[in-house]
Amino acid sequence: MISMKMLEIPLQIFRYREGEPPHYDIFTVQVADTAHVIDAMDAVWATRDRSFTFRRACHHSSCGSCSLRINGVEKLPCITRVMDVWDGHAPVRLDPLRNFPVVSDLVVDVSAFFQRMSAAGMTITRSAEPSLPVSVDNLAVTGVLSRPVEVPESLSRFNRFENCIECAICMSACPTMATDEKFLGPAGLAAIYRARQKADNPSDVAHLLGLADGEHGVWRCHSAFECTAACPQAVDPAGKIMALRRELIARRFKVAARAAAVVPRTRNYSAPAGPTKHGGNGA
Amino acid sequence: MSVPHVIVVGAGSTGAATAHDLALRELRVTVIERGEVASGTTGRNHCLLHSGGRYCVTDRESAIECIDENMTLRKIMPDLLELNDGLFVALTEADFAFKDRFLEGCAACHIPARDIPVKRALAMEPYLNPATLAAVQVPDGVFEPFRFCLAFLATARRYGAVVRRYTEVTDFIFSGKSVTGVKVKDRRTGETETLGADLVVNAAGPWAGEIASKAGVSVPEVPTAGVMVTLDCRLNNMVLNRLNKPSDGDIVVPQRATSVIGTTSWTVEDPDLITIPPEHVARMISQGEQLLPPVRKVPMRAKMAVARPLIARSGVDAREVSRTFECFDHAADGVNGFITIAGGKTTTARAMAERVADIVCEKLAIAAVCQTRDVPLASYRLFYQ
Amino acid sequence: MATLNYPKIRRAGRWFDVRRRRLGMWAYTLNRITGIGLVVYLYLHLGVLSLLARGQSSWDSFVSLARSPFYLGLDVVLLAGILIHGLNGLRIALTGFDVGVRAQKALFGILMLAAAVALIAAALKIFGD
Repeated sequence: MISMKMLEIPLQIFRYREGEPPHYDIFTVQVADTAHVIDAMDAVWATRDRSFTFRRACHHSSCGSCSLRINGVEKLPCITRVMDVWDGHAPVRLDPLRNFPVVSDLVVDVSAFFQRMSAAGMTITRSAEPSLPVSVDNLAVTGVLSRPVEVPESLSRFNRFENCIECAICMSACPTMATDEKFLGPAGLAAIYRARQKADNPSDVAHLLGLADGEHGVWRCHSAFECTAACPQAVDPAGKIMALRRELIARRFKVAARAAAVVPRTRNYSAPAGPTKHGGNGA
Repeated sequence: MSVPHVIVVGAGSTGAATAHDLALRELRVTVIERGEVASGTTGRNHCLLHSGGRYCVTDRESAIECIDENMTLRKIMPDLLELNDGLFVALTEADFAFKDRFLEGCAACHIPARDIPVKRALAMEPYLNPATLAAVQVPDGVFEPFRFCLAFLATARRYGAVVRRYTEVTDFIFSGKSVTGVKVKDRRTGETETLGADLVVNAAGPWAGEIASKAGVSVPEVPTAGVMVTLDCRLNNMVLNRLNKPSDGDIVVPQRATSVIGTTSWTVEDPDLITIPPEHVARMISQGEQLLPPVRKVPMRAKMAVARPLIARSGVDAREVSRTFECFDHAADGVNGFITIAGGKTTTARAMAERVADIVCEKLAIAAVCQTRDVPLASYRLFYQ
Repeated sequence: MATLNYPKIRRAGRWFDVRRRRLGMWAYTLNRITGIGLVVYLYLHLGVLSLLARGQSSWDSFVSLARSPFYLGLDVVLLAGILIHGLNGLRIALTGFDVGVRAQKALFGILMLAAAVALIAAALKIFGD
């Protein structure tokens, strides 16, 4: 029987109900020292206040529904350990995401976000670029293995889900999202980039690039790079926005447009998709 | 003649698929869910689109359901699946001896299984234990339970269903011995409301017992929790299973850039608050390490636990309990207009829903045929729009 | 279902709250503040230049004011704004065309170091003469 050290953690939680001004409640709950923030939130709901509302589903960074701000910084509570955000005495502050209307407590209205993702139209599966680490001794680096991986005969190729889990953390972290209500946002533009890489007919490509080039597209980005820094899934939306800009400029100049075109490539400007610090504070 | 109104309690895979089936049969449906979609058992499942191989020796009924639904889901939600097949891997002599029964079981359940050379298995899975003695390939896949539910609900909404999240059932309304509706509370605003219904379907998973008790009946359910551990990098392309009877930690499911090892099994008193036992986490790591030796070098990204809604069968070990589902018509308990569906797994949610919807239509005297096998699901993103 | 929607002014005003923000946001905010500063300076500058139109005596009195240490200090502040905004602007221009995106943090560091060096040298020159 492995012993568990229990902690008494204070949480300062943003509370909101229709018709009342928002306020913070402080709850102290008991959780294991290896617990994640989502476990502490569960403990608040189960043992302190059943009216506490928040979003969650998968508890392992695949659904993207639990995103919020912990001590002011956008994170996924399901992969953020309590001990990584608690200094031992001050309460851990939980706030809803920025740039979305708050429905109640930590629940925000993400309909505008999903409208943008629908507009981008990226399918969430892709033929698999290598996701396995290059070697056992260096699990942080993924890429082409030294000997090629064989694909089962029954399949033409491996496939997997896109990195993006539509958690909207980048949309919360982005300062432009606060000023332009129709901005496609880092997630929307990153999705356009991926959709464009996967697009195989010219009219789809033209449509996607048109969205990117539009009034609420790539040119609204003012290089804060908060999106890439905050993303827990190494999507690197800033890099993708800049790559789209490069293609748009190249097309405008009609100079080697095909060479500069965004063909499938594995260059990624953020920290490698591999062991990351919890909560995505890479890059 | 007015359209009958069915209330479905729970927006996990069972509730979502049931709402979808009923909406396609043109009934009026309202789904009541106290949290976010899939915030209960379904959200924290292992994400495994079962080929059925796991059950083909010990529970053939389950295995056949799995392979049939596996193929159906590939048709109706093709863009929501990682389809890289799976391997059942023999690491010990005992595993190796199981292979013949396994292949026999697969054949009996029409699961396409292929006994492949170990060398080939290691070429497909570079981090697989090099001491592998045998490998059988099956059509396992990977899904995301949250988007799975969203897709069913988005389609149901397109056909007129209403989904009310953050709303909980506080009481049932009776007219004599029949349930005629529910009292609900909107957790966001605190407002209460009464909703009339011709039938209420209880799809609340491990909380089905709690809901049923509000109607004065009980459900033979044993909330059984299980722990899963998610690693911070992906070590396998395909689903990896241990070639033997089901046991703890015998599956590693990859997804995106992670690998998820699961699972364990213990009865819990209160499915609302489950403390993850550290020895279960340690066991997942040591079990996972057998299939994929580098497991121990990979940091842990997440760990999750949730109660499964297993149906109690007296005198049987929890793991051996059949993973099929059951539909309880509480008319047998003296309460009309109320049915509970319990047990099951997400892979077979559509089939469960078909059975429930057939029962619902029979009880409401509606002649409507199931269409869910063939109707492709709408985009999951539409749920939020 | 009512929702809490912060008013647009309050949302838009969040750009200068750099608490808990990373380097990229600091650079963004610094650029905005220096940008606003430079626009304000532009109006002041035009105002000053208009003194030229009022004849030699008003220009002379302005120039004697401009030699005061306080005013020279403001000149250094102005120069800081120009250097920060200009050099960071170079970084933004480069990364905006997908050049050096991976090195955006290092680029900020190097360019701000260059700005600091240039500023100190200029300040010494300004106050030294």
